[in-house]
Amino acid sequence: MALKIRSMKDFNAGLMFIAIGGLFAIGANQYPMGTAVRMGPAYFPSILGWGTVALGLFVLIESFFVDEKPPTPTAWRPLIMVLGAVTAFGALINTGGLITATVALIILSALGGHEFKWKDAIISASLLSLTVWAIFDKALGLPFKLFPWS
Amino acid sequence: MTELIQHLSLGFSVALTLQNLMYCFLGCFLGTLIGVLPGIGPVATIAMLLPITFNLPPTPALIMLAGIYYGASYGGSTTAILVNLPGESSSVVTCIDGYQMGRQGRAGPALAIAALGSFFAGTVGTLLIALFGPPLAELAFEFGAAEYFSMMVLGLVSAVVLAHGSLIKAVCMILVGLLLGIVGTDVNSGIARYSFGISELSDGIGFVSVAMGMFGFGEIISNLEQGEEREVNTSKVGSLMPTWTDLKMSFGPIVRGTALGTIFGILPGSHTVIASFSSYTLEKKLSKDPSRFGKGAIEGVAGPESANNAAAQTSFIPLLTLGIPTGAVMALMVGAMTIQGIAPGPQVMTQKPDLFWGMIASMWVGNLMLVILNLPLIGMWVQFLKIPYRVLFPGIILFCCIGAFSVNNSPAEVYLAGLFGLFGYFASKWGCEPGPLLLGFVLGPLMEENLRRAMLISRGDATVFFTRPISCGMLIVAIFLLIIIVLPQIRKKRAEVVYESAD
Repeated sequence: MALKIRSMKDFNAGLMFIAIGGLFAIGANQYPMGTAVRMGPAYFPSILGWGTVALGLFVLIESFFVDEKPPTPTAWRPLIMVLGAVTAFGALINTGGLITATVALIILSALGGHEFKWKDAIISASLLSLTVWAIFDKALGLPFKLFPWS
Repeated sequence: MTELIQHLSLGFSVALTLQNLMYCFLGCFLGTLIGVLPGIGPVATIAMLLPITFNLPPTPALIMLAGIYYGASYGGSTTAILVNLPGESSSVVTCIDGYQMGRQGRAGPALAIAALGSFFAGTVGTLLIALFGPPLAELAFEFGAAEYFSMMVLGLVSAVVLAHGSLIKAVCMILVGLLLGIVGTDVNSGIARYSFGISELSDGIGFVSVAMGMFGFGEIISNLEQGEEREVNTSKVGSLMPTWTDLKMSFGPIVRGTALGTIFGILPGSHTVIASFSSYTLEKKLSKDPSRFGKGAIEGVAGPESANNAAAQTSFIPLLTLGIPTGAVMALMVGAMTIQGIAPGPQVMTQKPDLFWGMIASMWVGNLMLVILNLPLIGMWVQFLKIPYRVLFPGIILFCCIGAFSVNNSPAEVYLAGLFGLFGYFASKWGCEPGPLLLGFVLGPLMEENLRRAMLISRGDATVFFTRPISCGMLIVAIFLLIIIVLPQIRKKRAEVVYESAD
């Protein structure tokens, strides 16, 4: 009898849990285990990690027997643009300053939307830069660097 | 009784200072502002606004946070009535009749009844916290490590009961949450666990990053996947004043909804959804003409909205008295309190009575403010709803990023939030909800500590959890809950509720 994946959702989720649980459980090996009376730093994460692996396996096995609608296709464009915008913000905030990071984030993330219009993106980037400057620099007085040269 | 009055007057003397009133107002205002925006729920709203409160002293910070929470929940119902797009799962029911009322040009009365019902429920909820808080906290002082551990198990199990979809996947999410929660320096041995030599990770993963990533970024990506289609009832909000018949028809549902919500609120687990659903079902059953429901029946707005708010209010009881968060929002409150240097639990009431009672009094003030704030400002919220999502979401991402950065003034938190966005997006695509994970994340270190302590005291005898009566009772309830949700019949019923709510 050929096994067929009937629930792609469960199949992926099962693999994900096995991977995460396994990483934590194997990672715990480098720490002292201790005893049940004096639990070391590895004790609790080992139990939880192997528990996650076991349940993940269960989900994985279930995926061959329970029919479920396949997950909706991955929205790669929004995913990459949003995460790219967040990463760009993190990379620019200390070097390029708050305003630079804001403009980069707005334009990159707007590219992940359904329709991208340069006019909209530029208007909202300028308006939000102004808002951010007013709230965080002027009103709250947080020590943000604003521009690359400041 | 005199004690109650004493407590409340202490509370109001704190809550009614000009400074605290201002923060309460600011919290309600900002919470509503963000909460109204479609596609962003209370958890993401609170996570996004949380960093604003970091620089405040504890009392105003918590007052403001509670305000943000009410504002966010109320903003969600406004969106539900005007756009038919629930910002959060608990306003799903409000959509059914609220949106229909809006289409009939009666959005005004629907909003007014939702506000009045919520205010009534909030008042009752506040009184109940004041009444039951002290005795419960006293009980909690008797708790040892074993009881705390068992209580957390019970809390986590109940969170699973109401999670959407697969039970095992929800348990898995809790376990992953617990694991992520213990990343960082181990208190007993000083070993930095799972930090990979990154100094930021040895302080643990910031819960702001987890919440923002999973609830903020993850949800935004999912929203972008679905595309934009919404119809805003903007032009026809109509007169706000409900008619006399409206009021008469709503009175019963408000009272019953409040009662239901109160009960569900105290129980551990994610309860606002189930509270509003049961209130809707109850009103439909009690109605002389059930066919009106779904076509703009005001009872269908009044009951669930009151139930929802009552549950939101009373869910503070386990948090404030026992220190146990019962849902994702309360998990965020724990995080906020910890950042302020307060360990949530029964000792807050005795050691910091002004903070405790001030917060409770300000809950009532916050509910009052919502009525005053929202009804006149409804026109402004409507304008907000007109902003297209494609313009809105980059702004939301921006404020989340600034918030994450300002936690430690470090880009590491921003990257982490992005990483959790990725994880959250795929997890929910594969049918795993983020709520249980966040709860586990907050409880992780607490559970480990109490487990260690209980085992140390019992000299490694694991039966201690069953030989101590309170602990044993809680574990039995947890096991019982697990058994009943695995039973096929209940499973079917639960699937129905979930199916309906996903509709």
